[in-house]
Amino acid sequence: MQKRSYLGTFGIYATVIFTCAVLLFPIYWMILTALSPRTQLREFPPRFWPDDPQWGVFADLLATQPFGLWMWNTILVAVATMVLSLTVGVLAAYALSRHRLRGGQGLGLFILTSKMLPATLLVIPLFAIFKSLGLVGSLWSVVIAQSTLIVPFATWMLKGYFDTIPPELEHAALVDGCSPLGALVRVVLPVAAPGLAATALYAFVISWSDFLYARTFLTTSESKWTLNVGIATLKGEFVTDWNTIMAASLMAAVPIIGVYLFLERYLVGGLSSGSDK
Amino acid sequence: MATIDFKNVQKSYGEVHAIRDFTLHVEEGDFCVFVGPSGCGKSTALKMLAGLEATTGGTISIGGRDVTDAGPGKRDIAMVFQNYALYPHMSVRSNIGFGLKMRGQDKAEINRRVEAAAETLELTDYLDRRPRALSGGQRQRVALGRAIVREPSAFLMDEPLSNLDAKLRVQTRSEIVNLQKRLGVTTIYVTHDQVEALTMATKIVVMRGGVIQQIGSPETLFAQPANIFVAGFIGSPGMNFFRGPVEVVDGRAQTRFGEQVVPLSVAPDALRGGEAIFGIRPEHLKIGGDTGTPVALGLVESLGTEKILHFPTPEGQAIGSLQKVIGSDDAGRDSATMLARVIDDRRYTDGETVRVALPEGKVHVFDPETQKALS
Repeated sequence: MQKRSYLGTFGIYATVIFTCAVLLFPIYWMILTALSPRTQLREFPPRFWPDDPQWGVFADLLATQPFGLWMWNTILVAVATMVLSLTVGVLAAYALSRHRLRGGQGLGLFILTSKMLPATLLVIPLFAIFKSLGLVGSLWSVVIAQSTLIVPFATWMLKGYFDTIPPELEHAALVDGCSPLGALVRVVLPVAAPGLAATALYAFVISWSDFLYARTFLTTSESKWTLNVGIATLKGEFVTDWNTIMAASLMAAVPIIGVYLFLERYLVGGLSSGSDK
Repeated sequence: MATIDFKNVQKSYGEVHAIRDFTLHVEEGDFCVFVGPSGCGKSTALKMLAGLEATTGGTISIGGRDVTDAGPGKRDIAMVFQNYALYPHMSVRSNIGFGLKMRGQDKAEINRRVEAAAETLELTDYLDRRPRALSGGQRQRVALGRAIVREPSAFLMDEPLSNLDAKLRVQTRSEIVNLQKRLGVTTIYVTHDQVEALTMATKIVVMRGGVIQQIGSPETLFAQPANIFVAGFIGSPGMNFFRGPVEVVDGRAQTRFGEQVVPLSVAPDALRGGEAIFGIRPEHLKIGGDTGTPVALGLVESLGTEKILHFPTPEGQAIGSLQKVIGSDDAGRDSATMLARVIDDRRYTDGETVRVALPEGKVHVFDPETQKALS
């Protein structure tokens, strides 16, 4: 292999450092805002690091707000949305990928069009439906509403992945004695692990960051608030406690990082290599 | 071991008929090869036998049991796929033992049988590896191991050698034949390679356009092809064809090949009209004698002692497009050129004039209308 020149190496490092700096700057700013004393929040020029970091802001948040409850509700919603979206998405994508359905191509595209509708457009009809079903104020309302947004895209992501898996793998499993569902569960899904992980991550992140549906369907029941709804209430009409908001936002980001670190090992592609020639 | 029977099996996709009236009986322990050009329906027939494709009509029986509507797992068959279809997330041991596990065998028995199969196929050292850590030939053997470990009634193989390089293909070919002979399991093998078919099969089914053209032993297909398609498809190089007049002299039929009068072994009554299509295998042509038609050699392909000589079909005797008759596999073949296969030490040069003679009894006669053999 040709040895890279010093200039080339410098260019690569410079690009990586610049990109990381741009991407991580908001995180840094959140940390800075959370830890700065109130008097220094609007200082100009801003300080690189506060003289006296206010580490107690995290403890204050946990003591004054039901942060644990918000976190728990959000985890419940995100996990349930992820499981529901993946279950429906896997079955729909597998059917679209493997079975010659009459109008299957059109059906696939039609599913995708529902992704193109803005969430704000769906919120009123969904509210009317959930009200008649008595689901308003229940976490299920948010789970179902978010799934309507996630399932179409999840179906397409998974269909693309299933299309890359040779159908002979399922044929072999069927000949070996599996039922069609058994072949899907025992052979196709393990091989599709990277695709499943990417879709699960997508569903989890979308659900975790939802504000619109949670705010609309859960406003009246405080005990069901999710993190984003709870954090939004910290912004008062006359006073906004930026330290607490940023501390809460930082803590809210931790589970996402955890989920990503857990799923990262499955995101690496190429698992199916070796099945064929 | 089991017999296999197809009775009037049909398969169509809407208006397209992939298989028409497929009727076949395979004896216990037979090595039956389905051969034909791409798109002839051989893989579809195999998939219907495996239960991976539904039939549109007819019945399929394995060991006398009607399995037409049974699922693939209920047919007591094992299948080797063209791309091996090994489970990439499992070790070689799990791949081979998966079918036994699905059938509820206990662990100790699975281990014993997996290890026995691995020993047969020289895979013992690789049992704990994943398929991606194996070479193409080793993966192929794992696929075979997965089939033999279950001791099924029949093996189905869908072009299992087509992904191997030429040398490994020849080696694995004989390994599969030996394995099948030792186990005595009825085997259905699909290939588009007629050399594979001739060297492996005890029974060959030649297919074209979803229709069986001929069923027979390799020797029968080679010596008595049922029609022009089979005659051209079987053999390497394929049979030479030419058009010629039919004359009856003293109650015996004869034709002409250039200057040579060729007596035919067909009763004159069988020949309708004044013309027929004739076929002669490249290895049956006599080259360089004192009799026969003089021709100027075109290309001379030397394979050591064996040579393939190209020369023009006598004027007015070419049959036109062979591709229509024989199919795309021989698309490169020009009916205006004939081939002779000789094994001798003589040197042949391009442009040299030699005499070509057609020995009596080696000429095949075909009806120009139906393309069926008359001899």
